[in-house]
Amino acid sequence: MNLSWQPVEPAYKTYLQLVVITDMVILALIGLIIYILPTEWQWLPQPLWVGIPWAVFTLAMTFIWPSRRLQFTAYARPDEAVFLRRGALWQTTRAVPINRIQHVEVRQGFIERTLGLAHLVLYTAGSSGADLSIPGLKLATAEQIKHELIQTITQQPIAQETHE
Amino acid sequence: MNKLSWHRTPLLTIVFFAAKEIRALVRNITNLLPVLAAVVVTDKLWVTYSVIGAYLTYIVIRAVLNQRYFLYSLADDAIHLRSGILGKTNLTLKYERIQQAEIDQSWYLRPFGLVTLRIDSAGSAGKEVEIPGLSMTRAHYLRERMLDGTATVDATTECVAGTDAVAEQAVNTAVTKPVKHIQFPLGEVFRAGLIDNKIFVIFAVLMYPITQGDFFEELVIPWLTKQLSFIQSSAIMSIGIVVLTILVMFFIAIGLTMLRYYNLQLTVVDQLYQARMGLLSIRTLGFRYEKLQRVQIRQNIRSRLLRRYTASVNQLQPRATGQQQESTTFVLPILTVEQLSQFCQWLGLPRTDTLLWQKIHFISLLHPSFWIALTAPAIALTCYFNDVTGLVSLAIAAGTWVLLQAYAVARWHRYGFVIEHGWLAKRHGVFGRKENWYPLYKTQQISVYQSPWLRVLGYAHLVIHSAAGTEMIKYQPYQTAVALQQEWVQRIGTDFRRWM
Repeated sequence: MNLSWQPVEPAYKTYLQLVVITDMVILALIGLIIYILPTEWQWLPQPLWVGIPWAVFTLAMTFIWPSRRLQFTAYARPDEAVFLRRGALWQTTRAVPINRIQHVEVRQGFIERTLGLAHLVLYTAGSSGADLSIPGLKLATAEQIKHELIQTITQQPIAQETHE
Repeated sequence: MNKLSWHRTPLLTIVFFAAKEIRALVRNITNLLPVLAAVVVTDKLWVTYSVIGAYLTYIVIRAVLNQRYFLYSLADDAIHLRSGILGKTNLTLKYERIQQAEIDQSWYLRPFGLVTLRIDSAGSAGKEVEIPGLSMTRAHYLRERMLDGTATVDATTECVAGTDAVAEQAVNTAVTKPVKHIQFPLGEVFRAGLIDNKIFVIFAVLMYPITQGDFFEELVIPWLTKQLSFIQSSAIMSIGIVVLTILVMFFIAIGLTMLRYYNLQLTVVDQLYQARMGLLSIRTLGFRYEKLQRVQIRQNIRSRLLRRYTASVNQLQPRATGQQQESTTFVLPILTVEQLSQFCQWLGLPRTDTLLWQKIHFISLLHPSFWIALTAPAIALTCYFNDVTGLVSLAIAAGTWVLLQAYAVARWHRYGFVIEHGWLAKRHGVFGRKENWYPLYKTQQISVYQSPWLRVLGYAHLVIHSAAGTEMIKYQPYQTAVALQQEWVQRIGTDFRRWM
């Protein structure tokens, strides 16, 4: 089986960068508050010892990680399943057979909405937190895939008895 | 929809609702610690009594109201429940979605010929539905209908009555369908008690209140030391006391297991598997074959010495289920080799001695070996700086390293998987052994996972998410893993057999 991998929108990279920056700014704010508050804590290191690693980490996470992640993230839709690969360093390729899908959901967070992105989540039974979530899709694409999946599921033959 | 006829459970079931309240109290005991502390700390006796009295009244009132507001109705295809005192709940459950049904003859309802029907559904909330105070006949009829799913129940099952209904029913249906039956004698149940020894659980339960709060430290321990001071003079006596306590607890643990599994019998009629067990409370667990999602065969050190096996069958496990898994799983605690192969044959497991278990590549030893190799110098240094002579610390370090490394190699040697007749099986474990069998066509998701380390080596983990849990097959060559994933997904995606 040869899978034709569909890349996700390039805006996904911007989305990841925004998420990283938001998180790092929150971290920095917490750090600032700790340093500014008049306390007698002697154990705090010099601000630079915290600031430089923070800056290096932020730069790496903003400029290296999202592009790597975007490069690898892709999905494929052969007839009987949905495949998704994602991750940057720790990579997972996940596959869900279409006849095991329980329900489909299109989700849009705040940052995603400003970029016109959405993600599509496929749920299966059982295993918690092991759902397939395709990020970085255009809202219209996500809706369309959802529609197609639901069409396919409803057209499937009714489950037969296992009795032999 | 035609009008539903609502039933109320008998008055006796107030006991059931009270028992439920008490169980909830035990589960949430940590939330009540402030109250307990107040009770213990105060020197006014009336505070203690009023707190206990108030709580008892509360339980009784709640139980009475719960019984009063609990209504059930049985339609042709679904069961409807209404419950709740202030917050009302309406629940509808389709018969065909039921994974497992259990008839529980609790010891307090048994003398009155009443039973509790407990149902596991496939819902995501992990909710267990319980209907107390049904008559045996009715419960059996209902369970039959639920597990049948298709609501085609012949008249023979309806007229079954009495406590021996299972056996009777087996006799009734024997005319048309072949009945398979295993009876477990008392000796076997005793062995099950040995294997499934909950001594550490009892320890934990006893230790829990001791570690909570200062009450025990301030009052109980001084009292104990005072009472037992004569023992401290003799070492043999104190050792004797400890040994005796452990022995007593050991036998209590065996007794508890025996109470639970007393007179265990397994009956298979057509596709319906049921196990009946218990001395005081009799439980009858049942599931239909097509709901099976996983079979687990376990052996711990004790059962390996006794040459016995434990088998359990799992159905769809809803998300976010609590710790109560153990109590509702279909478990056969003790099986001889012959019984196990018999049971496997009934379930259609291709489990034979000639199975070719596939090993994983020995490169998987690299990662644990690295950490084990690191511990050896750490141990040597720790010993050395704690005033152990250099030679002895070296010997200790080397000995530990050899043991740990041998264990790692043994683990790798025992790790294996096999795909046979549409079943996927994985085994692992050195001392205690475990085998998990999954019907491959019921798999929900399949992942290929690569950490940076695995990518350097060119290997990947294959993760199989079944409806009853996740299984990982480690260290497959990357190309093989991808090929297996695609092949299996295609097979599952084109298999339209009923999977739940």
